[in-house]
Amino acid sequence: MRFVDEFRDAELGRAVAGQILSLVAGSDPPRHYKFMEVCGGHTHSIYKYGIDDLLPANVELVHGPGCPVCVIPMGRVDDGIALAHQDGVIFTCFGDMMRVPGSSGSLLEAKAAGADIRMVYSPLDALRIAKHNPGREVVFFAIGFETTAPSTALTLKRARSEGVRNFSVMCSHVTIVPPLRALLESPDLRLDGFIGPGHVSTVVGARPFDFIPADYGKPVVIAGFEPLDILQAIEMLLRQLDGGRCEVENQYRRVVPYEGNLRALEVMAEVFELRPHFEWRGLGFISHSGLKLSEAYADLDAEQRFSVPGIRVADPKACQCGEVLKGVIKPWECKVFGTACTPERPIGTCMVSSEGACAAYYNFGRFAREREVV
Amino acid sequence: MSAGEACGSEHCITCGDDGVPMTVLGVDGGRGLALCADAGGAHHTVETALVDPVAPGDALLVHAGTALARLAGVAAGAAA
Repeated sequence: MRFVDEFRDAELGRAVAGQILSLVAGSDPPRHYKFMEVCGGHTHSIYKYGIDDLLPANVELVHGPGCPVCVIPMGRVDDGIALAHQDGVIFTCFGDMMRVPGSSGSLLEAKAAGADIRMVYSPLDALRIAKHNPGREVVFFAIGFETTAPSTALTLKRARSEGVRNFSVMCSHVTIVPPLRALLESPDLRLDGFIGPGHVSTVVGARPFDFIPADYGKPVVIAGFEPLDILQAIEMLLRQLDGGRCEVENQYRRVVPYEGNLRALEVMAEVFELRPHFEWRGLGFISHSGLKLSEAYADLDAEQRFSVPGIRVADPKACQCGEVLKGVIKPWECKVFGTACTPERPIGTCMVSSEGACAAYYNFGRFAREREVV
Repeated sequence: MSAGEACGSEHCITCGDDGVPMTVLGVDGGRGLALCADAGGAHHTVETALVDPVAPGDALLVHAGTALARLAGVAAGAAA
């Protein structure tokens, strides 16, 4: 298909890998390059296509916090389960969210125990369920970064305009810039640059990432998700470092405009407002990093329509998702990786979603080893 | 069952990684919706408010039922 096949060309991939090798081979003294791919989608692609095997040994990829399923704290899952058990409620969410463990089970287990929990592919599907079930209350568990938030916002506007009163949203949307700033402030982080999130940037544009080179002196290249996209982004980062430049570049120009999607930003500004604080799994509370419904849409806010416990639950002690999300350790360095914690029975969220770093390592056979030196 | 299977695709739908290129087949302008086909030929109802106006044959990037961008619609010099 157009826009897909041409970005999986093996010959071109080898050529870009050769350019990467030539860029790092001549570094004197020998230098180790460490780049973070912010988005879980990139992590998935890197292991699916074996991109790290094409890289020289002194180019290391570190996996960032950009998996929205992975960063949902246990207490939030517990809130969702409590809501799903209320009389007359149909609880809807994306499939990935159903297997995220709360303190006493997942939404999938709550469904098995009798709660009416349904998987949907879009918020629009949840609204359709509400229209077909006028005697029930339909709640959509909204999670995701700025990529998904516009869908939720548009669906809320549609619910309002179509007069669907039995629909509400439990909003757990998050924003990408605050956790990046928190990571950059972390004293145990050593990075040379970032592969920026492609589809989040479709909405927010490239401008929000300008603070990274300006305030922290790290280059950013916004990248697509095909193998050639990621390889080219790494090459562009290395060229910036080689040439003494430090800026935000856009490798994904076929989709990402510099200013983002202004209509999406407008609709988000109308429907959402920033929470003072939001808890991230493994990263703790981060200021102004989560979204809630604005006053104008408060009547469609499930947390106001129903009582939810709102209890904070500490992450399991054995789980090291926090260190994985910060790129401090590799997934296989976690003591429960692949033993007590597997995609079938996850302890931590990074093992749940296919975008999670631990699941990507597990599913593509990276159990307990570093890369072979190329 | 893996998370990917639970989603119905190998990618996680929650993440922007699930942005799917689709082609517009028909437009319901009054409701702000379009009927689109993905690479496999499957049909989807897509919210088009963020990229309107659309016409049959247009290529869109669709995520979670909403078109976020037109493919190849970005001027080459517009990006940083």
